[in-house]
Amino acid sequence: MGGGEKPELFKDGKRLDGRGPEDLREIKIIPDYIKNADGSAYIEWGNNKIIAAVYGPQEALPKHVQDPQRAIIKCRYQMAPFSSLEEHGRTGPNRRATEISKVTKEVFENAVLLDYFPGSEINLYIEVLQGDGGTRAAGITVASVAMALSGIPMRDLPYSVSVGKVGDKLILDLNKIEDNYSDADMPIAMSPKSNDIVLLQMDGNLTKEEIKQGLIMVQKAGETISRIQREAIKAPYERIAERYKK
Amino acid sequence: MQKIVVPGEKIADTPLRLDDGVVEKNATYSTVIGIYDDERKTLIPLEGLWYPRRDDKIVGVIEEDKLNTYVVNLNSPYKGLIISKFVDIPLGAGDAIEAMIKEVDKTKTAILMRPRRLAGGKVMMVKPSKIPRIIGKNDTMIKQIMDFTKSTIVIGLNGVIWMKGGNIDLATAAILKIEEEAHTNGLTDRVHEMLQKGAL
Amino acid sequence: MQQENNVMGDFLKDLMQKGKREDGRTAMDYRNIAIRTNVMPNAEGSAEVTMGHTKVLAGVKVGLGAPMRDKPNEGNLMTAAELLPLASRYYEPGPPSPDAVELARVIDRGIRAANVIDMEALFVEPEKVWEVFIDIYILNYHGNLFDAGTLAATAALKSARMPKAEKVGEEITVIREGNLGKLKTKNVVTSCTFGKLFGTPILDPDGNEESFMDARVTIANDENVVRAMQKGLGGSFSTKELDELLDVAFEKSKGMRNMISNAAGE
Repeated sequence: MGGGEKPELFKDGKRLDGRGPEDLREIKIIPDYIKNADGSAYIEWGNNKIIAAVYGPQEALPKHVQDPQRAIIKCRYQMAPFSSLEEHGRTGPNRRATEISKVTKEVFENAVLLDYFPGSEINLYIEVLQGDGGTRAAGITVASVAMALSGIPMRDLPYSVSVGKVGDKLILDLNKIEDNYSDADMPIAMSPKSNDIVLLQMDGNLTKEEIKQGLIMVQKAGETISRIQREAIKAPYERIAERYKK
Repeated sequence: MQKIVVPGEKIADTPLRLDDGVVEKNATYSTVIGIYDDERKTLIPLEGLWYPRRDDKIVGVIEEDKLNTYVVNLNSPYKGLIISKFVDIPLGAGDAIEAMIKEVDKTKTAILMRPRRLAGGKVMMVKPSKIPRIIGKNDTMIKQIMDFTKSTIVIGLNGVIWMKGGNIDLATAAILKIEEEAHTNGLTDRVHEMLQKGAL
Repeated sequence: MQQENNVMGDFLKDLMQKGKREDGRTAMDYRNIAIRTNVMPNAEGSAEVTMGHTKVLAGVKVGLGAPMRDKPNEGNLMTAAELLPLASRYYEPGPPSPDAVELARVIDRGIRAANVIDMEALFVEPEKVWEVFIDIYILNYHGNLFDAGTLAATAALKSARMPKAEKVGEEITVIREGNLGKLKTKNVVTSCTFGKLFGTPILDPDGNEESFMDARVTIANDENVVRAMQKGLGGSFSTKELDELLDVAFEKSKGMRNMISNAAGE
């Protein structure tokens, strides 16, 4: 998939950054990162650093976009021009960012109880301040936390992670180099309550058996990711409650 | 036992009728961040939104002065409307008002009645989910704030609070404390203590 | 809501008449300021500045490009500012607004005029120079983006590393990691922004004050001289007021220059 000389991505059971095939990178979520937003959070996922913020629900404008039955979601995913280790990036929407914004929006159309707020809009902004592979997955994961903190009712807290392939080996949570040179990449978002798939993309080559295996890996990692999301949401309340116990 | 729950978290293996829960396959899940009490079977949201309901008291700011109506910003996706001909006081865009919701129409627009202009003072916004705690059981919390600070305070269920006179800084600090610590026990006493110290 | 809210305006006016501000500051006080550098290590330089509830991130990238026709022996500087829609309910996605363009240009002028970057050190070979990109990201709006943005940009430049160009035959590759030196800087610039609120000049207006002030002036200076200025909004300042504000700017800038050198590890 990538150009140039292909590095050896997998050696003696370890990946370039020392992880085993099913290891996640370290994930840390800070809630309430943007004071003005109705809900927000910041995530560090490996070297990815991303903010998600939610404004709304508010009156949908212009009026012709209003849906009298339910709320609409507007989502913008964007990468900062200084987010990569390479050249300065161009600003403004590009085809990749537009597509990611769309599939992310659709994840939250599934998760949010839209019919509670007819005629309104919910704005979700995801800003990638530093990117190192898997930014859409990390963006969705942190956006779930931001959405919940906004008080907008949700049927579930979706999480996302990608699974890929190097040679004939499946690996979880690809970083930038792995993403560039792997033989397949399959970002998935799931609703943990049901294990239903709410985002699915794929690029490269995978057998039916590998897809099945990959989904099992995602679900297993999802237990960890969901726990980190929930703990991040609960921590500030628990900290305050703890202060006044007895 | 009380515990903090998040959207999608299972709170009971039985179907429960809760405003902020959903039932799927005979189990009940939370749709909000809240506190679930499994003895009382209650789910109190910690983060939640307000939408117009009949008989709610609101505080808002008039954003448009139209021919027959005033359009009121309620800090919500839905507007309030005051029918001009039922109003016998001068109102204009930018004015803060308190009013009751007479009815809510199909588009969730709130038709308001008995508007009262709130002149001077200041307006602050809090999370609507914290309003019940700021008012307190039988108004105890807000009464003690007004007693100590000598401020006049009008609370809208839509999360907008108007206050005037007295020690506004202390009143604001007390309200912010309640907003942050709404889910803790013994809050009334701690606010009392804070007011006592601050009022000296 | 505060946009068309008479109550907030009257409240601030009433306070101002008593010589007070909403958060307890005097007219010529800054809010609390904090600077953290190298927060985004993929960028050559970065700094996050908080000023009260205003939060700004500046990222610096350095790359190779062609020099400007009129300055063939100097590098290039490009400054942009983004009023991210996540920073305020009133910001919208889309091309840069006039406010964002003005913000970027005022910050750029201060940095350029004060010779913060050693532009001649950015020469590589004829027709090839280093380009410095500064991107100012507004993360949370609560007033005074000019001073927070200038602080973030200057601190990011002062702590930036300098990539290396390696030439093999005609091919130039840029080395961005490993043992690198620092971007060469020659000076430090800071700015002080004043608003005129109900007739009274105030330093570092916050978001509520900015909604009601009718004139703004930004003064960017180094230790010795003023390097850039910009007056904004429909109101005005008297010559006497400007004279006094210039004194305040020189005085206040001392502390900010110290903050920058501490944050950049000097």
